[in-house]
Amino acid sequence: MSGLLINVDNSFRERLWKNLIIAIPYFWLLLFFLAPFLIVLKISLADPIIAQPPYTPLFQDSDDGSISIYTTFDNYLFLFQDSLYLVTYLSSVKLAFISTVLALLIGYPIAYGIARSPQPTRNILLLLVVIPFWISFLLRVYAWMGILKTKGLLNGFLLWTGIIDQPLELLYTDTAVYIGMIYSYLPFMILPLYANLEKLDIRLLEAASDLGAKRWEVFKDVTLPLSIPGIIAGCCLMFIPAIGEYVIPTLLGGADTLMIGRVLFDEFFLNRDWPVASAVAIVLVLLLVLPIVYFQKRQNQELLSES
Amino acid sequence: MSENEEAFIQIREISKHFGDVIAVNKVDLDIKKGELFSILGASGSGKTTLLRMMAGLEIPTEGKIFIDGIDMTNVPPYKRPVNIMFQSYALFPHMNVFDNIAYGLKKDGEARDVINDRVHKMLDLVKLSDYGQRKPNQLSGGQSQRVALARSLIKEPKVLLLDEPLAALDKKLRQSTQFELMDIQEELGVTFVIVTHDQEEAMTLSDRIAVMEEGEFVQIGTPNSIYEHPNSKFVADFIGNINMFDAKILKNTDQEFTIDCKALGGEITIQSPDQAINSTELSVALRPEKVIIDKQQPSDEDHYYVKGVVEDFGYFGNLSIFRVRTASGEVIQVSKQNRMRIEDSITWEDEVYLSWAQESLILLDN
Repeated sequence: MSGLLINVDNSFRERLWKNLIIAIPYFWLLLFFLAPFLIVLKISLADPIIAQPPYTPLFQDSDDGSISIYTTFDNYLFLFQDSLYLVTYLSSVKLAFISTVLALLIGYPIAYGIARSPQPTRNILLLLVVIPFWISFLLRVYAWMGILKTKGLLNGFLLWTGIIDQPLELLYTDTAVYIGMIYSYLPFMILPLYANLEKLDIRLLEAASDLGAKRWEVFKDVTLPLSIPGIIAGCCLMFIPAIGEYVIPTLLGGADTLMIGRVLFDEFFLNRDWPVASAVAIVLVLLLVLPIVYFQKRQNQELLSES
Repeated sequence: MSENEEAFIQIREISKHFGDVIAVNKVDLDIKKGELFSILGASGSGKTTLLRMMAGLEIPTEGKIFIDGIDMTNVPPYKRPVNIMFQSYALFPHMNVFDNIAYGLKKDGEARDVINDRVHKMLDLVKLSDYGQRKPNQLSGGQSQRVALARSLIKEPKVLLLDEPLAALDKKLRQSTQFELMDIQEELGVTFVIVTHDQEEAMTLSDRIAVMEEGEFVQIGTPNSIYEHPNSKFVADFIGNINMFDAKILKNTDQEFTIDCKALGGEITIQSPDQAINSTELSVALRPEKVIIDKQQPSDEDHYYVKGVVEDFGYFGNLSIFRVRTASGEVIQVSKQNRMRIEDSITWEDEVYLSWAQESLILLDN
């Protein structure tokens, strides 16, 4: 009997520990993600006023002494009425999308090359991918300004080799933004792709080759489909921060480079319209979260149907 | 192999070096058409490397491989009339069973209905007709093995290479699959080359076996000749159980040897052995099942015998295995078929007589 009791006690303790350990990340997310999100959501449902803070409170005292809840969807309606926001969202999606696709095209061969290289070389190559993170992100973007400006490093080099005889107009254009984005986020593309490709069973490639597939067919039929999880992970890691990117378009982009991060900054700090700025942020989150939720759901369904 | 028949696979002086390591060292081999040939060796003996060179997955450092008279040494794997079945099966995890099997035909550009027809026939052959839509992770080990076999046979290769085909299966399944493999091989008439470390598997499956050690062949022959007439201590020891004793040559004529072997009771006269004996010191080997164990003193004069005490004894149902310590202090292992349902048999500490036919002794050079 007593043995049984101890067992019950042990399993209870075990569960308590498990719950406690799981509770830490939950608590973290609750405090630093969900709570700020709810605050921003609350602000996005308020009216702007000239006050401190500059928006109407959620709970308002009525004349008869009761408390009422005040919300408005005006800010969201405003976003859809003014075509600037729609255009900016689309432009952000386009910039992030094209950068992601280009980074995938550049990052895939790099990740593949690293995964196929012998062990000691592999570690050095991986280190080289990560090493730029040791320098401040801002500094690296400033360095690109130096490289891309009219009398910068790149133009100097191209003029010197004689490939061009007029300096290229690069800085403060969308091209500069693409270069900056791809450069900055490439490691986020390479690392998950590498992690995936490194696990790939060489025997599968040999089997395909043995069954009559030429080299590119082996890639198309086996390597590529099996690396889709890595491709999705890399693209998500790049696309999500890229769409809300503020620093790169501000420093490298021109006045006509429309990105939602800049609009958000302007609404917040120049217009002091917190509710509209919050609404911009909430729509951006929805824009990102909904496709991810959809993907996850599909993946879970696939896993369920397989097991 | 008859002399006038040209070998289907001819391997000539083939070597493979990985850096400083010599995996395969100047190997020659002839395999004839329709043969079920095994390459048997411990891990690291170079057997898999040899197989991979036949498949084209490894380029030989030197030497040549001919298949059906054509030099295949540098032909890439996708152009060879050879298919391989991997030890790990290497089924494509993102394709279902049907697509896995159909893959080779698709790469050959076969028409859709031809592919359909042949894959279904193949699924019937490996008894997986209802499993076409399953993914590899939904299959048991035995089913995966049969899919891998089907996939490697679908292109009707002239040679099928099998790398440890049964290693991943449990014992019962291994036995039934062995016979299935033999049936399929017979039905299709494909030349099978099997690499294995399991001597039992090699013995039951093969027409001929090549025993490999450290990148070289030690002996090539039928299972029977390798078991009964091993040409070296290594082969004798590697295949099956064997008792091995030191001995000295006392007299050596063309017809007869007289040796002195303490463990087997002293002086023994024996007909000339299979292989040349160069030294005066040699080993005498005797398989456990060739020894007769009895409580009664043998009367048959053809049999030599020694007396001993049963030190250890294991009962396996169909047979019993005894370890008998002889007067000279050596231990001889004996296995005995339990032909009768007797309860009172030989057991621990019994005094017994061990006898054997003179032809059962194998003389091996040290």
